[in-house]
Amino acid sequence: MEVTVDEQQLDALFTALSDRTRRDIIVRLSAGDATVKELAERYAMSMQAVSQHLHVLERSGLISRGRHRQTRPCRLEPGMLKLAVSWIEASRRTWTERMDRLETHLARLQEGGER
Amino acid sequence: MSDDELVYERVFHAPRELVWRCLTQPTELAHFWGPRGIVTPVDGIVVELRPGGRFETLMVGPHGSYRMVATFTEVVPPERLAWVEPSTGMHTVSTLDERGGGRTAVVITQRHVPEAMRRPEARAGFLTSLDKLDEHLHLLMQGDRS
Repeated sequence: MEVTVDEQQLDALFTALSDRTRRDIIVRLSAGDATVKELAERYAMSMQAVSQHLHVLERSGLISRGRHRQTRPCRLEPGMLKLAVSWIEASRRTWTERMDRLETHLARLQEGGER
Repeated sequence: MSDDELVYERVFHAPRELVWRCLTQPTELAHFWGPRGIVTPVDGIVVELRPGGRFETLMVGPHGSYRMVATFTEVVPPERLAWVEPSTGMHTVSTLDERGGGRTAVVITQRHVPEAMRRPEARAGFLTSLDKLDEHLHLLMQGDRS
């Protein structure tokens, strides 16, 4: 647990990742920054539709947008993505360690009388 | 086990009533709920042991804290306990089965399916793309874009 995870943040993250086009945009951006126009060409979608996807991705923290007024290139934020990817693994680890500790606790409760 | 489920099983050398108590009483939960290096202070734990009741834990680690906020969906002492975390839709079911010799098998089934991902194709796609993304990430992390 290296990052403080806000539940709303996690929710936004999984909502963002629940759409196929948005997942594909992320894969595309992992190869390099891209503008809305470039992404719209790739998906044969309107700029407006792509913009909506980008808005969801931006709100989740998965991407950031450049300041350049005309193009505002999109950039992947690997930190947030890593958080999502590691989440399942973290859950597994949490339960394994929790069970270990419960085992120890149960043994202690039973050997020393119930304190 | 489907793609979106995680299952954990463990057989404890303890009677079922005692295991149930550990899983449902804040004073007991405080002893083991947090994984290694994480503490769960007893005053940060809320257990309202009935369907619809709150189940909350505050886990405090060296690098931050995480508050789990859940609602019990099933409370059947001493054999079945389930809760859902509304923010992610993740559903966790614990079953306690008596085994011989005073042992108890605990099976935790976790469906970590956010509301937006209930459709099977979305779930499958999600997990597949996470694998792919993981590969991409490793490349990225090694690269110069950090």
